[in-house]
Formats: sequence, structure tokens, C-alpha cells
Amino acid sequence: MSNELLRLDGVTKRYGPNTVLKDVSFTINKNEVVGLLGDNGAGKSTLVKIMSGVVPMTEGSYSWEGKAVPNVNRAETERLGVETIFQDSALVPQMSISRNIFMGREMTNALGFMKIKKMDDIASEILDTVVTIEGIKSSKQLVQSLSGGQAQAVAIARAVHFKRSLLILDEPTSALAVRATEALLDYLVQLKSEGVSSVLVTHNLHHAFQVCDRHIVMNHGKKILDVKREETTVEELTAAVVGGAEGLEKYRANKKK
Amino acid sequence: MSDEKKSGTELHVLTAPLQTETIQTIRRLADNKPKGFWGKLTSNLQFIRGRGALEISVVAVVLLVAYSIWSLADPENFRFLSEQNISGVLTQSVPLLGILAIAVGILMVAGEFDLSLGFALAFNAVIFIRILEWTGNIWIGVIGGILSGTLVALINGLIVVWTKIPSFIATLGMGFFWGGAGLFVNGPNSVSLPNEYTKDGNLFHFTFAQDFGWFRSQIIWLVIIGTLAWYFLHRHKLGNHIFAVGGNPAAAKAISIDPNKVKLMSFGIYGALVGLSSVIFIARIPSVSPAGTTTQDFTLFAIAAAVVGGASLVGGKGSVFGMIVGAALIELIKDGLILGFDAGIYLQLFVGVTIVLAAVFNKYMEGKAS
Repeated sequence: MSNELLRLDGVTKRYGPNTVLKDVSFTINKNEVVGLLGDNGAGKSTLVKIMSGVVPMTEGSYSWEGKAVPNVNRAETERLGVETIFQDSALVPQMSISRNIFMGREMTNALGFMKIKKMDDIASEILDTVVTIEGIKSSKQLVQSLSGGQAQAVAIARAVHFKRSLLILDEPTSALAVRATEALLDYLVQLKSEGVSSVLVTHNLHHAFQVCDRHIVMNHGKKILDVKREETTVEELTAAVVGGAEGLEKYRANKKK
Repeated sequence: MSDEKKSGTELHVLTAPLQTETIQTIRRLADNKPKGFWGKLTSNLQFIRGRGALEISVVAVVLLVAYSIWSLADPENFRFLSEQNISGVLTQSVPLLGILAIAVGILMVAGEFDLSLGFALAFNAVIFIRILEWTGNIWIGVIGGILSGTLVALINGLIVVWTKIPSFIATLGMGFFWGGAGLFVNGPNSVSLPNEYTKDGNLFHFTFAQDFGWFRSQIIWLVIIGTLAWYFLHRHKLGNHIFAVGGNPAAAKAISIDPNKVKLMSFGIYGALVGLSSVIFIARIPSVSPAGTTTQDFTLFAIAAAVVGGASLVGGKGSVFGMIVGAALIELIKDGLILGFDAGIYLQLFVGVTIVLAAVFNKYMEGKAS
């Protein structure tokens, strides 16, 4: 019996003449928090979009629990239980918090009319239980009136509410205050025990090292490191992120001396 | 020794000041609901304000009250409250512009424009009359006019969605095309509704232009279309998708809403309403130029009405209530200028100034909405 949840094999992504990802393969296991690290332009965000089915891959394969998923798209990944918090938070500023949370997944009656009050109430509850963030007055408030951190919290609350098997977080802590970040990282560990895996994409190695069981380091569209937490150090990861494959080799050579 | 040191630092981390007081002051959102009559009223007013329709409604009401007072004080010269003005002018002009503003407004919420509206209005009327002539059945003609409107808008929409050129340019060009198509189908002579359909006692006339004393049939159409559009745009999930796509297409896509489908649907709804407007238009003014010269003005007036009512030029914002109020405000200003000042050729000048002022006003208020 395999413990495998999501596997990418030989994923290549080209935008016109630009190759953003080159032959990337990795596995996300069940009950695992994986850190996806790398400098700007390493291809992390593209990888996130491919994993969440928003962007199709040029070459490569996507499999879920050992079964190939031929045409990955967002509807398919939604069915599989994948939720993503995108870096640019993916909210509609002119809409209210509760309408953003239920966007595309509105609670409706048989004719498709929305149950506004129920959605507002549940949105309030989600915000109360998932993220403790101050200054939000009501779930009817428009997202454009929120601060960056508050909007981030709404995006997190939405993903957390709808996730079932895999939660992907693309730089989720960039706009969050220290305490909210701590709470979110604790939450990822808690999710693991509830059988939900997560992928944490971040610049912040210390955040990643705190909670991730495994680290994948990307550099110029290639995977250069895939290592369990016990087998690495913050220093080694830093060398890989900053220096790429060369930096990693240099670090290892120095360490042997 | 080293163990002790380690636990010491850990202890230090753990005892870092936790701001327990702030935690206690966080109120739960679920408890934060408006209470009592005033609480609910202010909350609802804020809600309307956030959607850009409150201020302009106040302006419209103030204008209406001012006109009424003026008319009561000077009923001979300013005949605003006369049956002839209310029934003969306002309850015919406001519904037509109102329905067109709803049509354009829905499309604007989706983030698109259609500058071919005036030409399409004439083209649908031509199709309506032609089908009436061929079949002899006016109701088949009505359905044909509405279908024609839908089809015209869907073709415009497909060009926009497939080619990704801005709808502004695509529909500007297609406008001339539909004007030409009207000429092609009909020739240069204007099309007219046969006399039998403009008389009292005719079911078609009763449905679309009956005089009930203080109001005409058109106002009932505005109420029906306004209610349906409100439930669709603000209460149905498809309406919610239109807001999502107009506000942030990337966000909608990331949540598996297809922006192209939603935009095409918006074009289709817009087109059906334009088709209906063609029928309503020709029921009142039984003759129309196929090249669109008599209906051209409606394009920009309808967009202006939606903008005055709070619809955003870049999509994602607008309310059906605001669109209707915007249309009513424009028609009220026109009416007042004609009645009170005999504005004649300067009418456009005043209307233009009002539209710009209203847009500036909305922009200014936008920053204050929550």
C-alpha cells in the first residue's frame, strides 16, 4: 500500500520560448508537510499553479493516489480535494468577504438562488475559528476595504474551509503579522494529524524548517534538492536556495573538509 | 551545562510577551450582527452605499421633490405633475432607458461594453417587422426580435472572447456592421409598425404601449425586468459569477469559474434585453431607420445611466437598483430642462454636464464606501 498522494513526473512548462520548469518530478505523501523553497524566478509559483490545475503543463504527468489524472484542470483538482492559497490572494476586491469565500461554490437552493444569510453566517464562523485577525467587522464587508493581512486571512480561511486532502500555500505569510503566522504554521501541523497534507511555498527558511517534514528546493526551473528534515540543516537549505546547485555542492565540499 | 543553557533559551522564547489583553478584546464576528431597527437600517444603508447606489438615489429623490414643488407652485408653466407629462413622457422614456441600462449594466459588471447597442436596437426592430410581415403573427415577430438581439450580442461577444481584443473596439466596429446589415435586409427606407398594432384594443399595443391614464404599459415591463434582473444579478449564483469575473478574472479562474463562458452569458442576457427594448421602442414610436440613425443616442445614454447608477467602467461593480435610478435621473433631467427652460438644442449640453458630474461624484464616494 502506497502512501503517495500527489505525484508529478517529468513536468516541463514552457511559455512561448521561455522554459519555466524543466523535467521536475516529486511526490507529496499523505500526512506530510512539504516545503517548496527557491529564489524568485525559480518556478515555484508555476509549479503551484500546475499542482492546483489552474495552468496546464506542457509535458509530464500528474497522478493522484497512484492513478494518472490525464487532463488536469481546476474542476478536477477541486474534486480531488486540493485547495490553494495563491500569492496574489485571488480575491475579488469589489465583493464581500462571504461572497469571496463561497465564490464558485455558492450555497444555493434547487433553482440556483443563493442562501445569502446562511453564507454570511458560515463565513463569520469560518473567520472566527480559522484565523484570528483583528479589524474585520462583518463578513458582509467588501474585500477592498481590508488590509493586506486581513485579505490574506480571508483567502486562507476559504482554502482551509474547502480543503479535503491537500492544501497548497503560496507565500501565505507574506502579509501576515507574526502571531497570525505562528497560528497558521501550528495549524498546518495539526492538519497533518487530521490526514490533510500541505505544501508550503515560502522565502522564509525558518518558517519552513519549523513545520515541514521534507524540503524541495527549486532553482531556475529545476529541482535541485529533495530532502527530509532529519537529513538537512537550515544552512544547507540556505546554500541551495541562494547558490543553486553550485552553491549546494560548494557547501557540501566545505562541510567534508 | 549545555542542556541547561538550551532550555533557558527555549524558556525565553516561550515567555515572550503574549498579548493576552488584545486577544480578549477580539469580538467574534458571529456576535457582531446589527441589532435593533436602527442598527439594521444603518447596516443596510452602508451596504447600498458600498454598491454605489445610495448617493445617486438621494440626488434623484431631491430632484423629484424639487420638480414637484416647482410644479405645484407654478402648474401653468412647469407642467411636471400633469398627467400628460407623467404618463406621456416619463412612464415611457424611463422604462426604455431603464431596461437598456440594466442590459448594459449587467455587461459592464462582467467587465465588457457594447457600443453597437444603438445599431443593434434598429437591426432587431427591422427583423421584428420583417418576421411580422412574413408570418403575419406579431408574437412570432416579438420572439424573433428578442432572438435577433441575443444572436447579435452573442456574435459580438464571441469576437471579444475569441480574439481577446477590447470589447470597446470590437463592438465599435460591429456597430457599423449591424447598421449596414439593417440596410442590407431592409433597404434605406424606415421600417414601420402597421397601424392596426398602434391602436387601443390591440393586444400587442396593450402589452407594450397601453395608456392607463397616469401610466403606460412600459412601466410594468420595467418593474418585471428590474425584479428579474435583481434576483438574477444579486441573488443567483450565475449573477455572483458575473461579479467575480468582472472584478478579478484570474481569481474567478482559480476557483474554476470560466471567465469566457460567463462573459458570453452576459452578452446573451444583454442582447435579449436589447431585443425586448427594440420591441418596446417600436411599439411607442412606430417607425425606425434601419441604419440606426434614430436609435444611436441610446448607446451612450444607456452606458451613462449605468455609470450614473454606480456601475464601474472596469467591471465588478454595479447594482440593478442603481441602473434604474441612473436611467430615471437622466430622463428626469431631460424632462425638467424641456419643461422648465425650453432647453431645445442645448439639452445635450446639460445632460452631458450632469453625466460627468455624476461620474465624478461616484468616484469621490467610492473611496468612502465600505
